[in-house]
Amino acid sequence: MNVTLNWLKTYIDFEFSAIELADRLTMLGIEVESIKELGTALKGVVVGKVNSIRPHPNADKLVLCQVDIGEEDALQIVCGAPNAREGMFAPVATIGTDLPIGISIKRTKLRGEESHGMLCSEKELGISDDATGLMELSSDIPIGIGFTDALGLDDTIFELEITPNRPDCLSLIGVAREIRAETGNEIKLPDVNLQEDDSDIREITSVTIDASDLCPRYAARVIRGVKIGESPDWLKQRLESVGIGVINNIVDVTNFVLMEYGQPLHAFDYNKLGEKRIVVRRAAAGEQITTLDEEERKLTPDMLVIADATKPVALAGIMGGYETEITGTTRDVLLESANFDPSSVRATAKALGLNTEASYRFERGVDPETVIPAIDRATQLIVELTGGTVCEGIIDVYPGKCELLQIHLRPKRVNFILGTELEADEIRQILSRLGFGVDTLQQQDNIYQVTVPTFRRDITREIDLIEEIARVHGYDNIPTSLPKGDIPIPTTNTLDEVRRRIKHYLLGSGMMEAINYSFCHPNCFDKIRLAGDNPLRDALKLQNPLSPEMSILRTTLLPSLLENAQHNHNHQIDNIALFELSTVFLNGNEPARIAGILAGEIGGGVYGNPHQSPDFFDIKGIVEGALETCGVMDWTFAKTDASTFHPGRNAEVLLGDQRIGILGEAHPEVLDNYELPYKAYLFELDLEKLAAVADFSKRFEPIPVYPSVLRDLAIVVDQDMPSDLPIDIIYSTGGDLVESVRLFDVYVGDQVQEGKKSLAYTLTYHSATETLTDKEVNDLHDKVVKRLNQELGAELRM
Amino acid sequence: MKAELEAIQVAAQEALKDVKTAEALESLRIEYFGRRGKLTDVMKGMGQLSKDERPVIGKLANEVRASLTDAFEATKNALDCKHQEQQLITESVDITLPGRKPAYGKAHPVMQTLERIESIFTQMGFQVVTGPEVETEHYNFDALNTPPDHPARDLHDTFYLTDGHLLRTHTSPVQIRAMENQKPPVRIIVPGKAYRVDYDVSHTPMFHQVEGLLVDKHVTFSELKGVLVSFARQMFGDQTRMRFRPHFFPFTEPSAEADITCTVCQGKGCRSCGHTGWIEILGAGAVDPEVFRAVNYDLEEVTGFAFGMGVERIANLQFRIPDIRTFYENDLRFLRQF
Ligand SMILES: [Zn+2]
Repeated sequence: MNVTLNWLKTYIDFEFSAIELADRLTMLGIEVESIKELGTALKGVVVGKVNSIRPHPNADKLVLCQVDIGEEDALQIVCGAPNAREGMFAPVATIGTDLPIGISIKRTKLRGEESHGMLCSEKELGISDDATGLMELSSDIPIGIGFTDALGLDDTIFELEITPNRPDCLSLIGVAREIRAETGNEIKLPDVNLQEDDSDIREITSVTIDASDLCPRYAARVIRGVKIGESPDWLKQRLESVGIGVINNIVDVTNFVLMEYGQPLHAFDYNKLGEKRIVVRRAAAGEQITTLDEEERKLTPDMLVIADATKPVALAGIMGGYETEITGTTRDVLLESANFDPSSVRATAKALGLNTEASYRFERGVDPETVIPAIDRATQLIVELTGGTVCEGIIDVYPGKCELLQIHLRPKRVNFILGTELEADEIRQILSRLGFGVDTLQQQDNIYQVTVPTFRRDITREIDLIEEIARVHGYDNIPTSLPKGDIPIPTTNTLDEVRRRIKHYLLGSGMMEAINYSFCHPNCFDKIRLAGDNPLRDALKLQNPLSPEMSILRTTLLPSLLENAQHNHNHQIDNIALFELSTVFLNGNEPARIAGILAGEIGGGVYGNPHQSPDFFDIKGIVEGALETCGVMDWTFAKTDASTFHPGRNAEVLLGDQRIGILGEAHPEVLDNYELPYKAYLFELDLEKLAAVADFSKRFEPIPVYPSVLRDLAIVVDQDMPSDLPIDIIYSTGGDLVESVRLFDVYVGDQVQEGKKSLAYTLTYHSATETLTDKEVNDLHDKVVKRLNQELGAELRM
Repeated sequence: MKAELEAIQVAAQEALKDVKTAEALESLRIEYFGRRGKLTDVMKGMGQLSKDERPVIGKLANEVRASLTDAFEATKNALDCKHQEQQLITESVDITLPGRKPAYGKAHPVMQTLERIESIFTQMGFQVVTGPEVETEHYNFDALNTPPDHPARDLHDTFYLTDGHLLRTHTSPVQIRAMENQKPPVRIIVPGKAYRVDYDVSHTPMFHQVEGLLVDKHVTFSELKGVLVSFARQMFGDQTRMRFRPHFFPFTEPSAEADITCTVCQGKGCRSCGHTGWIEILGAGAVDPEVFRAVNYDLEEVTGFAFGMGVERIANLQFRIPDIRTFYENDLRFLRQF
């Protein structure tokens, strides 16, 4: 909401500069989002009088004006405005002025004639959108004075952020009340002194409330014989200064009073109301109304409408109807000032997609006690500005009148909550300045009985009063201390530890951490070739997604990482090593996953450290290392038929018969789907399952004292035999005496028979209790060779 | 014979001076010390000397032999030394060739910031807990004193799921879950993702928050200030000042927003801080009694405070990324910068 410094000053005195005021309001909780000086942009624009006009010798549409701006010589100004005439007063932008719309005024020649300034329209001054002609000024303004001075435009506009709990501040008087809390100065309410005529309002109209649960109060006045026209400058300026469009004198008055009191008002064309009366009721099924914006709206029976004898004429608290709106021919006006139930207004506004100044306030809650001051103030202004007369009396139906709310406040509790040492009397003073009534309830216990003014509907509890006291006392004046309570004993969390260790490990292995949106496109499952019945396809859908790309919640991290690879490849970055740690959304749970991708090139790509293409064993090694960092040891890999992957280059990671993850080379079609020109290797692990078996305990193992003996062993076996089979046999044969077996070469080619391969291992023999002799080692090694031959048909390769 | 020995010594030493290679030295050694070497020959002739001469000449011969042995040794050392020097020269490398950098990864910049925030609060005794991102209206709004028709719901543009759940709009629901599971004292922080329907240069539909909650028998607003001021100093530097402004959140009362002195101008006022010298970094407040009521805590017996901050916002105070959506493109040129 916007307010201006000058306008505020009509309701309360204060000495603050604009900056000081902004700071005070901000520290009271009304954040000033911007401060705009209205006049400064128009410095250099002065009031001028067009003394004479003659035709431009070289242009039909232009004239040459001699303009008096109070200096010795009149200025010649070339002008093309249709309304320029001799004797006219208009704003003149003098040479050197930079107008806010971006025009700089220079001495210039137009079609050969000199022009020493510019006569301006409202649009050129940035005041309104009116560009039809020069802005006409009153001829009683002294010639030559500054334009902004002449019109009282020198003002400061504050853009305020009013929090939803403070609808009382959605008005100038409301903001003035906050300044009162700060300064203690009194509020100056507008003087209202209505001259009523002698026709009784009750004889010409009536108000019936059929839905008093939704309409606690409805008041009406009738003003007759109005002359609809433009509002005077002062009114237009006020409204324009806070960004409200000017319409006509009646509507402008209702908007002005809305800003002043925060009370939405509505003016009906009295003569267009069926039976000239008002009924406040719920809409009937199937009823419709065309609102002021000329939209036809279908109503439902939970919506509150203002109706005449037969049809709805307004959406209560939201927008008036088109049929009964004030037009140039309106003679008599029925003015509404009412109060509506916040929830009802909110629901209706939401259902119809309408958000107006009125609904904004009613949704948050308007003080029902403002109904009468606001309608009287508006009536008085309408009478003044339109020449109408007001009927005697006011109709005021008030079924929802409430007792004033009273709250008990313990000053001790104030200090207990805030950590302050405020005196009871200070507390009383603060509350009084805010408009609360404060009585001592029980002298001995020092409890205050606080009466809440009707405009503070947000205050219902002791804690609300404590906030008010803190706010006015100043949050910055509350001391700073550290918590004194005990620190709760922390519990350990294996999942966090697994997450932390794996992340650390992957960073160390050169992978960068990615974070992707939890959303993805429903086609991502097709893109990674999931079978139609794959449970991962069962994703949660958003009701209101931003786009199809963000319309479901991901059940696997792999599509996001493939997209990241695609994005990077599209930007010529091809050394892709990324991982992501995140939860996914699956079967009503949010299991934690870690996934990674290697694609394009690994290696530095420089002399001595060339690019290499990653392969299956790079991703496998990363997964193995990750498992080791979690203290998991006895995993196995098994091929799967997962369709995302190359059928011959993928594996699931098994712990016992439990699958804890999957890895492999992306299927060529998957690569195509993500437009990747090279292979990509992926893994995804289930962190919860990993955490369940993670073991971070470590125990010292003695460092070997006796020397180890190394023996190489090269065997020829069938080509499709897994390379870990011989290893198992070696271990089981050698028992404790085999310290390690390391595969160092795999060979397929001319040197071995077709269909065979050669595997070369280094075996390390070692005993913890003695130095092994050559004979012992040889015997054992022979045994190993023999068993490999017996069980796998392995031939020694010479 | 004496003259012969002396001549050998002089000749050998002269010859050594001209030796340039290990091979030449070896053949010279054979020339003098070999089986048919000059010195060996002389030594062999010792038997024919008289008894008187023998000790004299023998002594001289030993001296010559020793001195020549030393001289050969010295020459050998000198040659070795020279050889090594030459060897080293041929081994020199072009030191401007690129180093072989081991690959190393970097945590995502948002995570780097989040981890720093976490570590500051854990040092103050806060325990890290997490909660679900798919939530119910109850936990996300109702239990946080935000009933369905409350205008505060407008502040959160919510993603709804077709099954009636929603994506949490803040990490605050975890406050409720934590208090349901635990009796006071509660001292937790909740890092995590939150979601709002928003997509522009300063908003992403998914973002990260850190929520904090401290509930105990007597927790004051003053302690809230203390914890947050301490956080701000550790996070942004000792010179950082913090101010608290009244604000509104449905689940805290009194509520505050906290600003720190602008990290660009140190509080003097600049464009980044709208010339105020302050930058908003978090929301906070005393836990509203209605929240305690929702988790069946005794409203008179316990008090507490809560705070919440946006991680991207805090990260960006340092990084100054003009479009924060860049965080989630995972462009490697971007990720490598941090
Ligand atoms: Zn600044």
